[in-house]
Amino acid sequence: MFAIAPVYWMLTISLKTEVEQFATPPPWFVFTPTLAHYYDAFITRGFGQYLLTSAIVAVISTAGALVIGTLAAYALARFELPFRLNRRLSLWILSTRMFPAIVTAVPLFLMMRDLRLLNTRVALILIYTAFNLPFVVWMMRGFFADLPRDLEEAALVDGDSRLGALLRVVLPLVAPGLAATAVFCLIVSWNEFLFALVLTQTEAAMTLPVGIAGRVTQYEIKWGVMSAAASVAIVPILVFALALQKYLVRGLSMGAVKG
Amino acid sequence: MGIEFRNVTKSFGDTKVVDSLSLEIRDGEFVVLLGPSGCGKTTTLRMLAGLESVTSGDITVNRERINDVPTQHRDLAMVFQSYALYPHMTIAENIGYPLRVRKVNQVERAERVQRVAAMLEIESLLERKPRQLSGGERQRVALARAIVREPRAYLMDEPLSNLDARLRVQMRGELKRLQHQLGTTTIYVTHDQAEAMTLASRVAVMKKGRLQQFETPLNIYNHPANRFVAEFVGSPSMNFIDGEISAGTFVSEALRMAVNTEVAGQVTMGIRPEHIEVLTSPQDGAIAASVYVTELMGNETFVFLTVGPHRLIARAPADFRAEVESKVWLRLTSEKVHYFDCKTEEILTQRRSDAT
Repeated sequence: MFAIAPVYWMLTISLKTEVEQFATPPPWFVFTPTLAHYYDAFITRGFGQYLLTSAIVAVISTAGALVIGTLAAYALARFELPFRLNRRLSLWILSTRMFPAIVTAVPLFLMMRDLRLLNTRVALILIYTAFNLPFVVWMMRGFFADLPRDLEEAALVDGDSRLGALLRVVLPLVAPGLAATAVFCLIVSWNEFLFALVLTQTEAAMTLPVGIAGRVTQYEIKWGVMSAAASVAIVPILVFALALQKYLVRGLSMGAVKG
Repeated sequence: MGIEFRNVTKSFGDTKVVDSLSLEIRDGEFVVLLGPSGCGKTTTLRMLAGLESVTSGDITVNRERINDVPTQHRDLAMVFQSYALYPHMTIAENIGYPLRVRKVNQVERAERVQRVAAMLEIESLLERKPRQLSGGERQRVALARAIVREPRAYLMDEPLSNLDARLRVQMRGELKRLQHQLGTTTIYVTHDQAEAMTLASRVAVMKKGRLQQFETPLNIYNHPANRFVAEFVGSPSMNFIDGEISAGTFVSEALRMAVNTEVAGQVTMGIRPEHIEVLTSPQDGAIAASVYVTELMGNETFVFLTVGPHRLIARAPADFRAEVESKVWLRLTSEKVHYFDCKTEEILTQRRSDAT
């Protein structure tokens, strides 16, 4: 009820005329639906552009974090590093997730300014990749650790290289975990607001959350447009999660029981 | 292909898991590493496979030092205790995997997989996934995966220990036959002395990381180098009695017996169950004993005996009958008696090598 109600409210707002949006009591179920706000958001205003930016940034940063994080996690899970570095490195990586993101906002803003990356997608991709990395490393490290070593050893003895064994034997077996991790990263990147707000001010580089929030202005709040855009924003994540649902459940419960 | 371990030591921290092991394995030999769990036999195998680093010493294959050669370039095949079949691949893909990573083309790969599958009678399983197979079938697939690429040697880590007793005996025979057919050097790790005796051309008995004896199964059985080997090999186990020999007589509590040996002093006497004859009437020089319990095995009877404080096991014919606590007399085949040093547990009797 608490989870669904706001979504329902948002969906209905996006379909109501402005008069009906503010009627008291609100027309809960019966109203005259209109797509005017959707037209307004995506045709008249630049929400299509925001959507594209969000998609590019989210997909590339998720892919980047998965590639780098998976390799790092595999190394941490399997190789014996000196000075108990396995544990220390892991904790250090985790600790980067512990401070509030806002602390890094100003330093990152200055860095990106000096690198001339303000108002670019590259800046957001880099930051989202970095912020997703610890999560990927920790999730994947757990999945790798649960996998019996025998299989990789068999692959090595069979003549495969480390990387080959990882690609052909290990990754297919942790695919459910990989899928679950990917969904989380995608959601985080897709919904991220703070850095996107700080680092992008131009239409071309703005992501959807920033774009939506931007409709709250000094003079008026465009509830209809915001709701329309937000409703559309839900769709890709929903589709992706549904497509991976089969894996998600297995991934989330992976390691819970020995199988 | 000859394999040699030269003073190989493996330490984890301060503990030496394998302690200056030297072994020379000849081309085409079937060598079994035998020992209780924790004796370093699996570590030895894993060092040869390159899955564990060598702390000191050299391992050579065909006189070429392989300590630093990565696993994938050693061209050895290994059968794991867990079989380690790739769960996401079909049986055909599993068997073909070593060929795939060697970039063997698809046609030849399919052909070789087919040939090996036929040899191991698993052709009907090729399209299935490992989880749909029984233990015995998985075992065959693991073997097929090892055989398909014709490696320089096979390494087997307790490959039969996950099978039920009947299947184990059957696969044991097939393994021996297969090795004979292929003629490839095989190193096989087990804690099951029966497997070691039946499979090996030579057995290396290990204890706490140290090699105890490396000889043919027959020599290991008949001429154990020390008390550990004597006790570990053979089922039921050899009997041991501590005592003293002086003036041609072995004396222990509740037991006196004339012996014909040059050994003297404090010793441990060892005798195998089949070298104790159980008599139901007194006889000159026989040792008085009482029956603790008898176990009829079908083809023979194990007689558990007490002689004063000592407990002994003897093998008797299947038709041997004796009540619990009844009195019997024992005659020991004196030339089959072994004497071990009480403290070092090394053999004291003169060693002879049986013709093999």
